[in-house]
Amino acid sequence: MKAVYGLYPDPHLAQAAVNNLRAAGVADADITVISSEPFEHFEFGHRDAKTAMPWIATAAAAGGLLLTYYLLGASQRSWPLVTSGMPIVPLWTNLIIIFEMTMLSAIIATVITLIVTAFVGQRGTLYDPEVSDGYILVGVENPTDADKLEPALSIDGGRVKKT
Amino acid sequence: MAHRWGMAIDLDRCTGCEACVTACHAENNIPTVSQDQAARGRAMHWIRVERYYEGHFPDVRVKFRPVLCQQCDNAPCEAVCPTYAAHHNEDGLNAQVYNRCIGTRYCANACPYNVRFFNFFNGEWPKPLQLQLNPDVSVREVGVMEKCTFCIQRIKAAKTSAKAENRGIADGSLQTACAQACPTSAIVFGDLNDPSSRVARLARSPRGTRLLEDLGAEPKITYLQKQPWNEQDSY
Amino acid sequence: MNRTLTKPLTDDLIRPVFNTSVWFYAIVLAAGTVVASGAVAWGFQLWYGIGLSGKRWPTFWALYLTNFVFWIGISHAGTLISAILRLVNAGWRRPVTRCAEVITVFALMIGAMFPIIHLGRPWLAFWLFPYPSAREIWPNFRSPLAWDFFAINTYLTGSLLFLLLPMIPDFALIRDRSTGLRKKIYGFLSFGWRGTTKQWNRLESAMQIMAIAILPVAVSVHTIVSFDFSMANVPMWHSTIFGPYFVAGAIFSGIAALIIAMAALRKALHLEQYLLPLHFENLGKLLLLMSILWGYFVFNERLTVWYGNEHHEMAVFWATQRGEYAPFYWTMVVCNFVLPLAILANPYTRTITGCVIASFGVVVGMWLERFLIVVPSLTHKALPYSWGTYSPTPVELFIMAATFAAMILLYTLFAKFVPIIAIWEMKAGDTEKAHLVEVAAAQHQPATPAGASVRAGS
Repeated sequence: MKAVYGLYPDPHLAQAAVNNLRAAGVADADITVISSEPFEHFEFGHRDAKTAMPWIATAAAAGGLLLTYYLLGASQRSWPLVTSGMPIVPLWTNLIIIFEMTMLSAIIATVITLIVTAFVGQRGTLYDPEVSDGYILVGVENPTDADKLEPALSIDGGRVKKT
Repeated sequence: MAHRWGMAIDLDRCTGCEACVTACHAENNIPTVSQDQAARGRAMHWIRVERYYEGHFPDVRVKFRPVLCQQCDNAPCEAVCPTYAAHHNEDGLNAQVYNRCIGTRYCANACPYNVRFFNFFNGEWPKPLQLQLNPDVSVREVGVMEKCTFCIQRIKAAKTSAKAENRGIADGSLQTACAQACPTSAIVFGDLNDPSSRVARLARSPRGTRLLEDLGAEPKITYLQKQPWNEQDSY
Repeated sequence: MNRTLTKPLTDDLIRPVFNTSVWFYAIVLAAGTVVASGAVAWGFQLWYGIGLSGKRWPTFWALYLTNFVFWIGISHAGTLISAILRLVNAGWRRPVTRCAEVITVFALMIGAMFPIIHLGRPWLAFWLFPYPSAREIWPNFRSPLAWDFFAINTYLTGSLLFLLLPMIPDFALIRDRSTGLRKKIYGFLSFGWRGTTKQWNRLESAMQIMAIAILPVAVSVHTIVSFDFSMANVPMWHSTIFGPYFVAGAIFSGIAALIIAMAALRKALHLEQYLLPLHFENLGKLLLLMSILWGYFVFNERLTVWYGNEHHEMAVFWATQRGEYAPFYWTMVVCNFVLPLAILANPYTRTITGCVIASFGVVVGMWLERFLIVVPSLTHKALPYSWGTYSPTPVELFIMAATFAAMILLYTLFAKFVPIIAIWEMKAGDTEKAHLVEVAAAQHQPATPAGASVRAGS
């Protein structure tokens, strides 16, 4: 079978299901929890929270800063034209454009990281449209021993399904 | 040695005849606009004669002041152009590159002397007026800024022949259209870098002032007058 | 314990996507007609030249620049609400964020049209983009207009992404509820979103980073727009206060636009349960604060000019206070300061209707403020011989009307195809409230530890 999972109307039930699955010996990485909202106050919502995204954004910002600094200087020197007696490469006015490009680099890097980690890098295809009605899905894809898992997922108030 | 073109305008000699305005129009292919458009402020007089009245009848005095692009050394119009259409060239002129202008009109706003003009429409020369166009000067299309260039086409021609003939440009041989047309020789044009030229001497004259000097644009046109204007108007 | 399922909430907020009322078609038709007429007017201007507008020597910037600054100002609504309130974790922001972010994106798009509309040769506007050309010439990066290009594009990109990313879970929701072509389209738009904990965590991290990044960008954008004026040595433009003054004015007009949009949505989409009087009360207080701040900046600017008595500046000063622009100036003061203070300082008049009236006043007043910054200074520059006048022409007025209609049109289309209140944010808000109740309850009954695993029978 492809997956076994339970649908729970309440996050406490979902947390219990996750705990039961762990007790049944399922590895954390194999437990899939799907919901229509982020559950930040529950332990199961904190799985997979570690991310390097802020570091990537900072690195991209630094890169954008340096790249813009050098590009501006190079382009202004490529055809030096005097305007209003200002220097050919005026740092103060260049700073404005450097600032904008720094922030833009951070924003674009963040979005690319999001797309790569959350969308392109998805493991698994388990989904049930009932999640949109507010149910929380807790389950295992491609389970090795589904018979142990069904009782673990059976909690009063939830429903167990198999695909 | 590089040139530094400048001008001296003697206000005590100016009669307000506006021959300079006409000559400039003729030399630089400046389009004329209809009466209606002139009333809407679309006239483009690269050089204009400002007329001020002082005093009350019967002790009225009229003052004339030709105002044209001051070719400022610290031109406020240059840095604000996003496409380098306005920039400073090696001769110290404030160059306007028509082909590079996209018509943001920021330069016109930044100019304290309001000597920059915009082509609100395409210029029209109903036949046979097109025969009068100067072939050395381009005709600007709609959407482009233009202003006095110190007759850069004449400067270029003079420099080219001087180089070809291996000589310098004699003072007084190169004249802008307005200086050439002025009947009282109120407008003097020349090379400020040549200390013996007429314009350089007049620029050092104790009768000389500059327009809106305190704004710091460093204009290159010296206005000469025996009497300072009314103290209240320092414009 | 059983948590109430979120079906009623979802049903309410998703209804406009599935049901279309006749009003939708009416608004789209009316607004669309005005937008089309504006496009025709612009077409005439492109063909004949800027001369069809009222601009002249020396008033080379007039209505188009006024509208440009005005719309970029309106675009600061979203950033304040979404980014700042998200960063300080204010719960009441949840129903309001998407309304605000939508205003930002559309106001930016409309505002960014104006630099192109006002150009003499708009077909060459791409020269502002720094591309390597065989002529080795680049844009003049010293020009405030070049800074504008970078700032507005950065802000537009950032705001667009800030708006689009949290829409993805809601698209997934619509996908699950729909069939046929609608399901295909929303399925594509949701990019395969499932709602795993990893996806939620990544989305939250991305939103947090973007909120932090977009705040300085928003401040910089309107500061750079103010630099379009303060960098020129024009009387009453060359003022150091323009940066903060413009940003404060932008946030001011943005909140006003947001209040109007929210009130309209509340009526049109029957969102009385979600856009509560509390939200208008809070935004009304913010509007009051910004009104006082605006008054502070104006007083600062005007007192300095009047005290300094520099005659170039005084010519502009008197033109606005007592001269030909006085009616606009005093209307602006009433609309931006007197009216909001009168309505919003009193809790009894700080109702939804009161807030909307004050907001309409602010929108009018802020437009007049932009006009009074642009035109009087240009008509009274240093040489009195070159003083001038300005009056708008039908072309400019049609284009201006078209932009307001475009905002209404775009907003209506958006509210139809996307839930205007972020459903997952509302759900998260409810969960948070439930969690706080549990925590409080646990503190009163220490015998039952909170968050214990719930077994059968509870």
